[in-house]
Amino acid sequence: MSNRTVNINVHHVTRIEGHGNIVLNATNGKIEKLQWQVPEAPRFFEAMVRGRSYEDIQIIVSRICGICSISHSLAATKAVENATGIQVSEQTDKIRLLMHYSEQLQSHVLHVGYLVAPDLFGMPSVVPLVAAAPGPVKTIIGLHRLANEWSALLAGRITHPVTLRPGGMTKIPTETQLRELQDRLRQCLPDLKAVADVVLSAAGNLPKFERPTEYVALKDTRTPHYAFYHGEIASTDCAGTVAVNDWKTVANEFVSDQSTSKWAKWHRASYAVGALARFNINAELLSPTAKAVAKMFGLQKGCCNPYFNSVAQIVEAVHVVDTSIELIEELLTRGLKQEAIAVSPKAGKASAAVEAPRGILFHEYEFDRKGNCMSADLCIPTTQNHANIQKDMEKLVPEILDEPQDKIRLKLEMLVRAYDPCVSCSTHMLDVKFVR
Amino acid sequence: MRKPVVVLGLGNPLMADEGIGVYLVERLLESADKYPGVDFVDAGTGGFSILYHIEDRRKAIVIDCAFMDEPPGTVKHFTPEEVQSVKVLAHQSLHEADLMQIIAMARQLGQAPDEIVIFGIQPQRVEPGLGLSRTLTERIDEYISMIQHELGE
Repeated sequence: MSNRTVNINVHHVTRIEGHGNIVLNATNGKIEKLQWQVPEAPRFFEAMVRGRSYEDIQIIVSRICGICSISHSLAATKAVENATGIQVSEQTDKIRLLMHYSEQLQSHVLHVGYLVAPDLFGMPSVVPLVAAAPGPVKTIIGLHRLANEWSALLAGRITHPVTLRPGGMTKIPTETQLRELQDRLRQCLPDLKAVADVVLSAAGNLPKFERPTEYVALKDTRTPHYAFYHGEIASTDCAGTVAVNDWKTVANEFVSDQSTSKWAKWHRASYAVGALARFNINAELLSPTAKAVAKMFGLQKGCCNPYFNSVAQIVEAVHVVDTSIELIEELLTRGLKQEAIAVSPKAGKASAAVEAPRGILFHEYEFDRKGNCMSADLCIPTTQNHANIQKDMEKLVPEILDEPQDKIRLKLEMLVRAYDPCVSCSTHMLDVKFVR
Repeated sequence: MRKPVVVLGLGNPLMADEGIGVYLVERLLESADKYPGVDFVDAGTGGFSILYHIEDRRKAIVIDCAFMDEPPGTVKHFTPEEVQSVKVLAHQSLHEADLMQIIAMARQLGQAPDEIVIFGIQPQRVEPGLGLSRTLTERIDEYISMIQHELGE
């Protein structure tokens, strides 16, 4: 039993997106306060889209995020189409999937290379890492650039897509451009392997910590594959899946006093989403190369060490590149056709889900018969992770309380970073009814 | 093959004079056809994306608001070797970047142009707001003229 007195107050954890605080006060081994706090201001997007045309929704909500703007845009476009009865062609579906994969690579490379790697190598940021390991840093920069250019080819620009419309795409790449992209993706696989090797060399610095956890992610039971864009909601805690329109029965969002972001829970007091969740639900469906990378790290289905979320991201980066090379071949074999967008929106309400890099993302909208938005409800992956971060801390801290204070602080910060939280996406407007 | 010269406008137009780099690039773009060998880029608050923009170039001209202990509106042009950064980074975000560090990083990675020239403009106001201060607005033509002179007009 520890008798340590520890006071840690990390105001605005560095190397995450957005702002969050870690507070730990323990006196003579008794933990008096341990909180993961989210102080970000509300964003008001759900209010902003009310009254707007179904055509405007994706453009507006893409601004929720600069890293995962494609995921927000795709979730919004799918939800708008589901709600208003608009169908899309198979070509559109495949091009959007290819666009979605680009964001996974971009976000995972950024997270592992710029945000997590400094901790593994004992540096405050990636900048001093350049002097220590210029080769790997150059590789990370090159991969990030490739992913950005891939996104720009399909989305019209790196951030905030402009090629998405309900019913189709305003612009599609040429077959030459897709072939060039395919070549670049083939050439980048050795670079991804090199990054995996470098991270493996420092993987011993990932804390050894486990906590049995519920993991939630998309699962496609109709066409089994490692799902990012199609599927229903699955959990490691139950068989079967839940329809996306019933996402509220999964998220069960509730207000926490210590956070401007809501928390979520399903079968337990919390659950986790993200790369490790997807791995734990779909690992057998990874590409062979991705499986080999997972094996390198000893990452197996059932892993409940949150620090290994970053390892799962490396595995997924390889998988999306492999899968995209095949997807481009499919598109080229079918041949690309220019498709006009002709839609007649109906009144309706529906949801859509995609796997953003950080986890499963839900968008829900209702439209009137003129196609104007009456309501919106968005549930962000990081929102769904906050309660799990808190629960992880509550198990972790007693196990490490006898370590030096700076090591405790580092492990807590690394824990938050492992989730790759996008905190500014996840804050929410309170919606309360006064009962007194 | 990239154009040999890039002009990067850095800054945030939502923070008054902090956006001077972006405003100047927008103005320069109006006569971009006079400079066929030059890319004019609004690099905004891109931070690490500066590395992509300056790679494979012979020369990079960077325009940014700069705290130089000079009267507001003062413009100075200098090379990275002529200054030392005193910027303190909190490492809170990848958007938060020290240009001198990014250039040093590019050099260590072998990705920096041989020639880098920086135009720093001392702001009057850096606070939330659209539009430049009068102090800077009144000198826009002077700034444009200096940059075009650097481009060899």
